[in-house]
Amino acid sequence: MSTDSPLVADQDVIVDANIFFAIGHPSNPQYLRFRRAVQRAGVVLKLPQRVIGELGGPDRDRVRQALEEGWAEIIETPDPTAGDAVAASDIARRTIADVTGQPEHEVEKTDAIIAGLAIQYVREQASTDVVVLTDDGPARNGVENAVRAQGYTDTITVYGRSDIIGDDSGDTMRLI
Amino acid sequence: MDAATPRSTTPSKTSDLAVSVTTSQTPIQPPVEKGTASVLYHRLRYSPTNSLKSVDFGLNGMHEEPLNDALRTDGGVDALSDDALSPEPLAPERLAENALGFATVVELLNHPALTRVYVYVCYWGPTTPPEVRDDLELSKSTAYEYIDRLVDLGLVTRDESTRPQRLTAEPIAIVDEHAPIVITPTVLHAFALQEIDEDVAYFLDRYGIGKLVAALRGAGLHFAGQTTQRMVADDIGVRDTEAMMIIYALVPVLAVGRDHDPYFEHLFPDVHDQLDLPDLDERDTTPSPPEDDT
Repeated sequence: MSTDSPLVADQDVIVDANIFFAIGHPSNPQYLRFRRAVQRAGVVLKLPQRVIGELGGPDRDRVRQALEEGWAEIIETPDPTAGDAVAASDIARRTIADVTGQPEHEVEKTDAIIAGLAIQYVREQASTDVVVLTDDGPARNGVENAVRAQGYTDTITVYGRSDIIGDDSGDTMRLI
Repeated sequence: MDAATPRSTTPSKTSDLAVSVTTSQTPIQPPVEKGTASVLYHRLRYSPTNSLKSVDFGLNGMHEEPLNDALRTDGGVDALSDDALSPEPLAPERLAENALGFATVVELLNHPALTRVYVYVCYWGPTTPPEVRDDLELSKSTAYEYIDRLVDLGLVTRDESTRPQRLTAEPIAIVDEHAPIVITPTVLHAFALQEIDEDVAYFLDRYGIGKLVAALRGAGLHFAGQTTQRMVADDIGVRDTEAMMIIYALVPVLAVGRDHDPYFEHLFPDVHDQLDLPDLDERDTTPSPPEDDT
């Protein structure tokens, strides 16, 4: 519905893999709206190799389609080594453990590392406007908390799917 | 129908019945090892106002009292301990009492297209054959074939005194404390979705219905904020992106089940009222919710 996507040109938009599934199949109105918002902003989503994991089957096809359509690319990101980036991942892990009520060792490393990757990216690329895009609620809490705690709120913004394409009421969802 | 149903002469609270689930269908993975497992089978006449506290169990005298107090959060029931399988539920007459009910579930789990029609009638009934046909995009002959089959199985009731005929269906649920196995309308809906959703079809083909139920639980916990999608992947043993894919594919199942499945709380006793899901009332959905459902 809304065309007021917060994405603008010159942003570095780091996405988690869940985005490619949260927007549904390429025939889904949400997919089309999302792709339009990304393309209209003139950005190419950066999908860190580190967060994809192993791909195969239709999950691979879904990611590949976005790559082939040119609105996403896979980037190589070094693991966080800077002190504040490493600490950010630790904070994210603790936050995710806290909000999910799970022990810290149960938190998936990749969920926690995204915060560190973003901060490491800012430091290495000297980027001033980074967006982290994830649709996983608890994981997003982890990134947000880490960014805030490490003082990067002026540089790194965290968005979910609905921040980009608005609420999806009005869409048709095939129920059965 | 319920009043005429014969009751067991010695009803116990749970686990009246033991049947083999190993042979029920091929998609169940891994197979149940011991060859027998206690399966609880009960039905209730669904109405939106029906409280689970006051259900009228209606199949062959399985149970005379509500069972939700005995249900564990893992979907099992507080019944047989692992090492003390009572012979009572294994009595041939007890097994025979539920033979029909057991067969219907086997039939459903072997025929997702049939299950889809059943879930549709169960959720959106009373409905009519033309509505089934239109909303599920079936040919006239296919729709009637499935409806006839469901009526034969006793899963759908057809009122032929009206034109068009009115179809209704009662929800069914199975809970097994050993496997554990949980089958509710929500589970059947997820299973049936393979007919129209390639991601669900892929997941079922690769992992079977047991993991689909696990993914369904995981998806519910995720949308309740209690786990990340990658934690679900780890929990159920699939790739991260496969978990992400199936979690989103199951959103309609959770959103509809929350509104229509009287056993939804049995699948999500811990988080059924905490799920952050699309509000169906605000959406142009397919099929349209019945007018009197809000």
